[in-house]
Amino acid sequence: MPDLDDILKTVWPSVRSRHLFPELPAPACADGELRVGLDIKGKKISISRKFVKEMSVVLKPQEILEGLLDHAVSHYIYCPWNLTNHLKLYAAAKAVLEDKEMALRATDCFMDVVADTLCVSQKETPLPKIYRYLDRTVLDEAVHALFQRIWGIDLDVHAYEELSSRLSRIPYVDRSSWMKSIGRFSKLIQPLLEMEKDYGNLDTPSPMGSHGIQQYSTQEIEEGLKDLALDVASPADFEDIVHDFEDEISGATQPASQGLDSASAGSMDTSILYYMKLAENYALPIRKVPMESSGSTYPDHHISWEVGLPYQDIDPWTSFGKFMPGITQTWKRREGQVYGKEEGVPDCMVIIDSSGSMKDLRCDLSYAVLGAACACDTYLKNDARVAVYNFGDASAGGRQILTYTRNRREIYATLCRYFAGGTKFLVEDIDTLQTNRVPDIFMISDMQITNLEVLIQYFNTCKNRVTAVHIGNNEHVGTFCHTMELRKNVVIYGVENKEDIPRIVLGKIRQDLYKKTL
Amino acid sequence: MKNPFIDFHPGSYQIKERPTQRIIKEKQAVFNHIIKGYLDLVENEIKDLAWVVEHSRVVKAYGAAVEGLRDLQYDQAYIEEFCAELDGSNSIPYMIPGPAGLYVSALVNYSQESHILLGLGDYQRPFHFLGYGLPEGKTLTLQGDGGDFIGAGLNGGRLVVQGSTGNWCGAGMMSGEIWVDRHTGRNTGEWMQGGEIRVDGQIHGIGKTFFGGCIFKQGRLIASREVERVF
Repeated sequence: MPDLDDILKTVWPSVRSRHLFPELPAPACADGELRVGLDIKGKKISISRKFVKEMSVVLKPQEILEGLLDHAVSHYIYCPWNLTNHLKLYAAAKAVLEDKEMALRATDCFMDVVADTLCVSQKETPLPKIYRYLDRTVLDEAVHALFQRIWGIDLDVHAYEELSSRLSRIPYVDRSSWMKSIGRFSKLIQPLLEMEKDYGNLDTPSPMGSHGIQQYSTQEIEEGLKDLALDVASPADFEDIVHDFEDEISGATQPASQGLDSASAGSMDTSILYYMKLAENYALPIRKVPMESSGSTYPDHHISWEVGLPYQDIDPWTSFGKFMPGITQTWKRREGQVYGKEEGVPDCMVIIDSSGSMKDLRCDLSYAVLGAACACDTYLKNDARVAVYNFGDASAGGRQILTYTRNRREIYATLCRYFAGGTKFLVEDIDTLQTNRVPDIFMISDMQITNLEVLIQYFNTCKNRVTAVHIGNNEHVGTFCHTMELRKNVVIYGVENKEDIPRIVLGKIRQDLYKKTL
Repeated sequence: MKNPFIDFHPGSYQIKERPTQRIIKEKQAVFNHIIKGYLDLVENEIKDLAWVVEHSRVVKAYGAAVEGLRDLQYDQAYIEEFCAELDGSNSIPYMIPGPAGLYVSALVNYSQESHILLGLGDYQRPFHFLGYGLPEGKTLTLQGDGGDFIGAGLNGGRLVVQGSTGNWCGAGMMSGEIWVDRHTGRNTGEWMQGGEIRVDGQIHGIGKTFFGGCIFKQGRLIASREVERVF
């Protein structure tokens, strides 16, 4: 048999040309069991030598390679196209099948049908020849019967007449009805999926390769989750989808995006991930204050020491007497800032009310958490630090304080704590977060605070720039707004219409804040 | 000078029309016909402002539904899709429960298949009149709870309800069988003329007017012309 790599080099340009030059690197042949895999991380297609060797008994190697490449490229340019589509298709399949393994396989099959049907309809491809000679399980046989019917090409299938007839009436190439289509598709193949599950076949990949989340790059996963957070109706829906891919996603998501310090990547509460990703969709403008760098650096906070970082900054007191990468702690230095002519953004103290009168952020979209998350993101993006004071009934211990940090995960974990119960805050807690550099204050609450007068008094005396956001309207909001009218450093915004669709209200938050923020 | 766009030329391949396009077009045509039949029925029925369940009215509406489906070739998948459209779609602007149920029954009765299975659990709205006039040789299985008048006017067919039904189950049925896994509501078997109703759960109430047939509750005969009704 001629060298596969040489054949691949001649085949790839023609496949690229046929698909109008997709932005994919040259594919490669790989050893091992893999049949075909589109490694979107590197956007690199790997083709199994073993598969080609087995197939070359009945087909020319050139045809096999062309067909496999057409299949892989079709996934890239048609379906699923991106992770958001992939996750949404999976969610639609799971809603019908109520089983992770079956939903994964149904999604794989559906994406194969869409991508290959579009490819076969629009391009001249040897893909059907490969399907004709593939090994088939029960489900594969049914899908091949469908291909035979909708492509009008003999694939040597003589069963599943009725099922393929029903499956053929699903509009696979109509992108706008994919979610509805995969529901019908899953329902029709459900008995076969159950049979495959009983046989234990769902663990083995489909003949043309399966489509796992690990195929997407970190950036694509971040983008996909961001879009998904915007698309779903509630945190619970987001959790339903993401929970099944927790292992793959937690390995890939990097809260350290945009140069922010992070804790090590590990599993993350999906509610935190939801608000984190949703907040990324909104950018709040911020007015800067005159500041300039002092020119000298000072130890700011700890990070794990890694090989290559300077030894002199290692802090022996927090390193447990160890000198090992990942365990030893070192000081992260930051340049000091003083007020001057250059503009900068001060640090921010976020005060968030998570008492019982606020929405439970895990069940419904919490405007308070989202608003606070957007504010935190804005400050972090502007190179400032954020402290969080999350309170319910603070006098009874219902509070959590996070000192100034740039660790996004810690900030979100504190924001996403829900205390319920009463609403009382302690001024001394807030005082501990005041610094000489006069941080901004961002407060979000429904203002039904037991000691609201103390808060009003505090805002009347403080010199911080205060952005206060009230959720809904009540008499306490009226009192607060009335007493703050004359304060120039306090700007108040309202989030109205609680019953509105969360997404629309979110837009309002952004618009309101856009008009007046600082 | 080389034309820089030459590489983007699609080549000599002529795009062939695959059967999928034709299948989808045909399917859409049939489905549009079904939707149109329903909308015509509703338009006709809505003239009287309120749709009240009266024998003559039900018969008339069912007759109109059947007329709209004449000579149409379809199967269970179309019925399921139509129910889904009725349940929550923009393509059907209004759903009047009575005519909708009668139209679905007409679809079931005149479909190509002898055994139809409808998953009512998939829908948010209750469907009434399912199994209306189900003829001999047809079996309709309903997975989930049905609405009122389930199996009304049953005409020799076999109706299996894997769930509960509302009131007036089997009202006016002439022959055939109704099997209910769970419970039935009030006036079960009202105006019943023949056939059998078998309920595995509770019967909330048997119809006062009873002309024939049998009603079994948990395997025990509780109503027939020969047996004094026990409730």
